[in-house]
This record gives sequence, C-alpha cells and structure tokens, in this order.
Amino acid sequence: MYRKILALTLLTFLLFGCAPAATPAPTSAPSTTPVPATATVPPTPTTITLTDGLGRTVTLNHPAQRIVSMAPSNTEILFAIGAGSQVVGRDEFSDYPAQVKSLPSVGGSMGNYSNEAIVALKPDLVLAAEINTPDQVKSLETLGLTVYYLKNPATLEEMYKNLQIMAQLTGHESEAENLITSLKSRVAAVDAKLAGVTTKPIIFYEVDATDPSKPYTYGPGSFGDALIAEAGGINFSVAAGITDQYPQVGLEQIVKTNPAIIILGDSNYGATPDAVKARAGWGTIEAVKNGMIFPFDDNLISRPGPRLVDGLEQLAKLLHPELFQ
Amino acid sequence: MPFASTHNMKLRPTIFSLLALGIALILSLAIGSVFLSPAQLWETLIGHGTQVSNAILWDIRLPRTVLIALTGMALGGSGAAYQGLFRNPLADPFLIGVASGAGLGAVIAMSIQWPYSFWGLMAIPMAAFLAGLLTIFIVYSLARVGKIIPTTNLILAGVAFSSFATSLTSFLMLRSTNEVRRALGWLLGGASQSGWTAVLAILPYLIIGLGILAFSGQALNLLQFGDEQAQQLGLNVTRSKTILLIAASLATAAAVAFSGIIGFIGLIVPHVIRLWFGADYRRLVPLSIIGGASALILSDVAARVVIAPQEIPVGIVTALVGAPFFLWVLRRAKNQGYW
Repeated sequence: MYRKILALTLLTFLLFGCAPAATPAPTSAPSTTPVPATATVPPTPTTITLTDGLGRTVTLNHPAQRIVSMAPSNTEILFAIGAGSQVVGRDEFSDYPAQVKSLPSVGGSMGNYSNEAIVALKPDLVLAAEINTPDQVKSLETLGLTVYYLKNPATLEEMYKNLQIMAQLTGHESEAENLITSLKSRVAAVDAKLAGVTTKPIIFYEVDATDPSKPYTYGPGSFGDALIAEAGGINFSVAAGITDQYPQVGLEQIVKTNPAIIILGDSNYGATPDAVKARAGWGTIEAVKNGMIFPFDDNLISRPGPRLVDGLEQLAKLLHPELFQ
Repeated sequence: MPFASTHNMKLRPTIFSLLALGIALILSLAIGSVFLSPAQLWETLIGHGTQVSNAILWDIRLPRTVLIALTGMALGGSGAAYQGLFRNPLADPFLIGVASGAGLGAVIAMSIQWPYSFWGLMAIPMAAFLAGLLTIFIVYSLARVGKIIPTTNLILAGVAFSSFATSLTSFLMLRSTNEVRRALGWLLGGASQSGWTAVLAILPYLIIGLGILAFSGQALNLLQFGDEQAQQLGLNVTRSKTILLIAASLATAAAVAFSGIIGFIGLIVPHVIRLWFGADYRRLVPLSIIGGASALILSDVAARVVIAPQEIPVGIVTALVGAPFFLWVLRRAKNQGYW
C-alpha cells in the first residue's frame, strides 16, 4: 500500500522532470521565435472590419502582425502576397514555400490542434480554413483570440477575392493586386492558346488508387474538375455522367469511357506510371496503351491558393503539349 | 499490520482511489504541449500568472481536465454497471449500441452546415446524445418479452443494431469525403471544445445517471445470482434492470456527446478495481467511477504530450495503454479466480 503511494508520487516528480522533453519550440517568450518582432509593414491605425466565411464579424485595429495559419492553403497565400514575415505559427501540413517548415507547428494532424501552442504564440490573428471545424473556431474565440475563417473558393474569381481579403487583413493590398493581375494574365494566356482547340481529350485524374479496381477521382463541382475543363480537357467524371464531387469509381467504368490521358494526382504518395501499367485490367485503356500517364503534384489543385494557376498551366501543357512549346 | 481491521479495509480503497485521482488532476493541470515550469504554475495558481499562462491553465487545461474527468467517471461507472447487469466480463458501456447510435447521429449532423451560433455549435453533440438514447430505447423495445427483459435478448438486439448503425455511419462517411476527417476524429475520441460549455451541458445527466448507479450496488449484487434468484430474494428485477439501463445510458450518452467514443475505460477500469478491491458492487461502482476519471485523465495527458504539439485522439491512447496495463494486472493476480 505504502509502496504504491510512493511509486505514484515518484512517478509524478519524474513526469515533471520529463515534461520539457515532450515540448516543441514555442515557449511563452516570443523573442525565441524566428520571426522578427517588428514587421516590414508598420501597423497603420486604420480599423479593419470584415465578415468571414462563417458569418462572423472580425475586427482588427491594424494589419495583423502575428498570424497563426491553421491550413496549408492559408500559409501559401500569406507568403504569396508578401506577408510571410508576419506569420508566427503554422499547422503541421504547411510545407510551401520551404521556409515555413522552420516556423513552429501548432498541430493539425488527425484534426487536433494544440490550443496551448496557439495561445503561447500570442497571435493577433488566427486564420482558419474549411478544413477547420466551427468547434475549433469557437474554442479559439472563447480563449479571446481573433479568428478569421476563410471559405474555400469554388472558382478562380473567388480565389482572387480570398487573396484580397488576406491582403486587407495583413496590409499588403498593392502586392495582392499585382499578384492577381499577373495570375489573371497567365490564365488569359492559357485561354488564348486553347481558344482554337477542337478536340478535347478525356482525362482521368487519379486522386487515390489504394484499391486499383475502385480509384477516387474529381467530379463536377470540385476544383480539379473546373481546372481540367479550363485546361482544355474533358474530365472522366463528366464523360461518365457522375455527379458526386469526389466519387469512387469502378474500373469497368474507366475502361468503358477509355480516357486518353491519365494524370496521377497521387504521385506524392508513391504512384508511378509503371505501376499503373502493371495493374490488372488497366491494359486496355487508351492512356495506358499509349503511355500517356503523367505524375502530378496534387497540392497544385487541392490547395485553394495562387498555385492553382500553376496547376492550370501544368495541366494545359500535359493535355495540349503541341500548343505550349 | 496496522490496517487490518475491517473498518479500515472499507476506507483504504476509497482513500487510495481519491489519491490517484488527485495526482491525475495535478498532472493534467501541470503538463501540456506548452511547458510551464513549477514556478510559473505556482505563480498562475496564486493569481500572478502572465496572460499566456493564465489562458493555458484556467481557460484551456482546467475545463478540459474537468470534462475528461467527468467523461471518465461516466465510462467507468456505467462499465461497472453493465458488467454487473449482464453478468459478463466483456461488457462495456457501448455493448448495446449507445456508441454506434451516437456516432451515427453525430455523422448525420456533421453533413449539415449549421449556423455559427450557440445552438448551431451544440447541434452535433445534441444529435449524438439524442441518437444514443434513441438507440437504447429501440434496443430495449426490441429485447422486451412481455414484462421481462431477458439479458440475452438485450445483448443480441444491441449487437445487431450496433452493426447496422456502424455500417450506416461508415457509408455516410465515405459518401461525404469532406467530412471524413472530422467524423473520424470524433469517432476516435477526444475533447474538442474549449471552455465550460460542454461541462455544464453534460453535468445534469451525469449527476442523475451516476448518482443512481452509485447507489445501485445492492441491486447489482443480487442480480449476480441470476434473474430468478434475484426475484425470489426480493428484488423487482425488471424495474431494477430498466433503471440501471436508463441511468447508465444517460451517463454514457452524455459522455459520448462531447468526447466522442473512448473505448477500454469502461471495460478495463472495473476489472482492475475488481482485481484489487473485490467484486462487491456497492464498492465496485463508486470506485470505478473514481478510477475511470483517473485513468482517462492520465490517458489524456499522454495524448497531449507524447508527440506535442500534435494530439493523439484519446481513444487510441486508452487502447494502446489500457490493454497492456490490464494484462499486467491480470498476470499479477493469476493465482486468484476473481470473476
């Protein structure tokens, strides 16, 4: 009996001593983070009031200087509009551009963020996205933090709008406008080159083929579908009459629709064209017979930020190489 | 031995359990993904903390600790009650479908875009709670034969309905891939909401449910003799079973509503208590309530700290840690037949 009490008490003290080993970089002293205390944009005294994607009114007294991003798409947008030095924390999945990996992580895998880590970074703005739940937003709000929930765009126009919103929150309006102008001209250039195209190949975009007889793809309503159409292709889901946004389709349907090109969105997870050629039952598909199987970085389509235009350009090059020499 | 008298034998388990709970509570407040030194903790406790340490201790760790403690109490208490009610060592609070039903309710609610308001945010826990209770009602009605509720029927109906609910849940999760991550996180268990809302929401149900269970020890002891024997010994078997079911289900459904499905606590804690302190339900149920709280709090501390700042869903930690711990306890008691 006494031994049990003694063991428990010793365990308590041991854990006290072991706790530091389990903690990451963020401490309660902000000077240890790699972000400089003064930002490149001096805060102006204008009040910024916006309504976010959940219908909440968000007010900032000046452009945010200490931002925690809870989604990779938010992080990419922040760095693209020049607000990178104002970011003090990011979620676990943020990996672009490369320097974000040196920022402290606040969690995010398995859907769980560490509210403690977020609070310890003393942010003046937390940027949530649609991968975050309203519960998480409410939790952070209850802790007294300012949270802005950015809704996913459904079109490129809405993505430009999101860039403008982020620019307002961070005080980089002119950089964002320049970025939007350049993105629009790149999209216009792609559209111009594709203007005279008459034959559009059927594309099968593979999102996940863990079970090769029932792969996942993009359906109508998803950004992948929109970009394939804009890049001058016919999405397999549209050709097969599927209506779900992220359908799981049977191999028979793929064979019947006979896509001319297969794009491997799961190449980040190890799918290769050779592996596809070796799959049972895939040999009769036109794309496999002609070797028209291409790896692709799905992040360019699944992250709703400026890199969507990169995705569009790369898709267009793959679909109509003769027009994009 | 100075503690050999029977009077003190009754107090020792309670004191030990409360001590374990106290240590677990202290650990949960002291340890988290952000390191606070003992000096900082002390400063914050006496009111001189910094803004960050105050937020961490009072606004994040304390409500979460209390919520996890209450959840553990509910799971431990109803686990002990179910094991007594069904006379089955494999019984846990989710045996007759509360978890599957609540999961189905939650996943259905997740596919709807609720407005960002107080009731909108309560929609999913409420759906889980009501679906859990509805499941018990359905299973109870299915199992009832005239005026009696045969235990076997309850288990069969519960298992069948559980399978049905689980497969429906999986189907719904696959259909709306946007919500799969969120649904999976909920199903694996863990406290998602900060603040005291969840605690206040489940407190009434836990007080009623666990209050009834804590005083049902005598009825449970009598039920161990079998339904007929218990009836002849003066217990109104049908009424006792119904009350026990309602109380345990209320507590479990409330616990599951905010914390998702956390397994192993309801199954293993009563067994450990039984191995250490005997199978008298008058003692077993209250001790399982306290023990459940301690076990879940310690699991939650591990979940928060092991790969900080990532948080492992608590349900995974209880499974990973609970099973080996239980096997160790079982081995130590291998000379005694304890069931």
